[in-house]
Amino acid sequence: MIYKAIIADDEKELRTYLKRMLAEVWPQLEICGEAANGKSALEMIDSLSPHIAFLDIKMPGISGLDVAKHIAGICRIVFITAFDQYAVEAFEREAVDYLVKPVTKERLLQTVNRLKKQLQSSPEPPADLAEMIKKLLTGLQGNANAGFRYLQWIKTQHKENVRLIPAEEVDYFQAGNKYTLVITAEGESLIKKSIKELSQELDPQKFWQIHRGTIVNVSKIENVGRSLTGRGVLKLKKRSDTLTVSRQYLHLFKQM
Amino acid sequence: MMEEKYETEFIFKYWLKFKNILIDGIIIGTANTTLALAATIIGPFKNFLPNFIMAHSMGIAVSLAILFSLLILRPRTWKLFLIIAGIDICFGLFIGLQISFIVLRYFFNIFLNWQTQNLGLQAIIAGFMASSVILYFLITKIRLRYRNEMIEREKIKRMAVEKESILANLRMLQAQIEPHFLFNTLSNILSLIDTRPEKGKSMLLDLTKYLRTSLSRTLPEKTTLSQEISMITVYLDIQKIRMDERLNYKIDVSNNIGQHSFPPMLLQPLVENAIKHGLEPKVDGGEIYIKATEDNNLLKIEVADTGLGFSDFDKPGVGIINVRERLNLLFGEKGRLIIEENKPHGVRAIIEVPINDL
Repeated sequence: MIYKAIIADDEKELRTYLKRMLAEVWPQLEICGEAANGKSALEMIDSLSPHIAFLDIKMPGISGLDVAKHIAGICRIVFITAFDQYAVEAFEREAVDYLVKPVTKERLLQTVNRLKKQLQSSPEPPADLAEMIKKLLTGLQGNANAGFRYLQWIKTQHKENVRLIPAEEVDYFQAGNKYTLVITAEGESLIKKSIKELSQELDPQKFWQIHRGTIVNVSKIENVGRSLTGRGVLKLKKRSDTLTVSRQYLHLFKQM
Repeated sequence: MMEEKYETEFIFKYWLKFKNILIDGIIIGTANTTLALAATIIGPFKNFLPNFIMAHSMGIAVSLAILFSLLILRPRTWKLFLIIAGIDICFGLFIGLQISFIVLRYFFNIFLNWQTQNLGLQAIIAGFMASSVILYFLITKIRLRYRNEMIEREKIKRMAVEKESILANLRMLQAQIEPHFLFNTLSNILSLIDTRPEKGKSMLLDLTKYLRTSLSRTLPEKTTLSQEISMITVYLDIQKIRMDERLNYKIDVSNNIGQHSFPPMLLQPLVENAIKHGLEPKVDGGEIYIKATEDNNLLKIEVADTGLGFSDFDKPGVGIINVRERLNLLFGEKGRLIIEENKPHGVRAIIEVPINDL
């Protein structure tokens, strides 16, 4: 029986290289398709139904891991990565096939022998293997995406251009009449987002609301004092202006 | 003026601490006992007990008066502080002496008053001199401690600045070489050796050049913009082989502008960002455009890409933070990094540095 495989990698030279190596190590294997991104890999798998898919993890658009999630029960998967410690550890732990770039002949031979053995015992990938890969990938991707959900860039209109300010460089946000004032070391600008929206989108570890109309970047606080009326007064680093902490938010500054 | 304000503030804080009050109390107590002894020997009244009681009650009264008026009035300048202390001394001596008369009368059956052998006047004069000497001694002690603390604080501040600059340098070096980039490039070279050895060779040379600059532990103090641009060209040539038709680039830096000196590794992270976050993850790829202009003693270098751009929730890379930190260290407020949306898509990063300071 002739087995078919596809190779997916965004770098043309590397697809060619793997193809040549495979031709030496496993001449009977037919490379029926080469894909330059995840989307065309999925299409190829759909139309050509190969037995094996060599998938580069890092591809533009749909990544190799995403492709794998869709095809885990349909064909056998060999991941390829240049450098991805987490992924490699996970593959190692779960005995998933993978290759690291640059691919060596010895390593490829090992993988090929394993694939041959697996294919002989059952041409279809076992169902539990598919489940396992899905689970593994969910874990891996969850890991990579964790903590990236907070607002990181403040986009402000600046003449005809949209300027991007990293959130961590903002000293504080102050509610204005219609807009919200963004104050940084370099100056002030206006955004449409309200203090309320900002308080929900910014990382609450790094930004504290200290007043109905003020959100401050915690890392920019120099010290906090008390005014005569019992409110808190914040002094910011490298700034002369002070901010008022209303009673409602004073608990944030209680000694730990 | 500012200095003075902090100094009196420091005295205030100093006497808020129980330990300091205790130590100074012991000093004052010892001084008063000595004073009582001296008065017994040379004074008009050769009985130690009344002298002891008088010295201590005056001492305690003066100390408490100074302590409390300091707590309540919090003088901001030395002049104010000395006026208050002077009033406190007169007032404390008077009250203290009265109290000592009462104590002596009720507990020891010794009857004294202001007229007894001119006691009042002499005690007040001796007390005033003693109080001034003690106060002077204590203030000198505190001021010394204040100076030491200021020196210490200055030292810590300086060390913090130094540390910051070292860290910024270190982070910049660490952030340079991306393992993905390195191993993918090596794979490409390995492949090209078989198929197109000439191309493989030139890629290997480019990589060597790139690594030599990126890995060097110490950066050259001064480089020109042209040198930095040639480094970037090497990097982009490597990426061009990897990404093929997905990457195009254009560099527009005239020889004239290229002669300006420019800090090394300030532009490179922006170009790497453009590839890593903009073009590499984009299926169709795109273009990088680097342009330098000179205006009003300001050197302005622009790195624009037509890549994916930043979504609001993408974390800014270390590259951008490092570049801004270094600009700040090198040029203060005169160096700027501006990041904008490129139209119709992508990111434009602009570095502005003063030409004179380069």
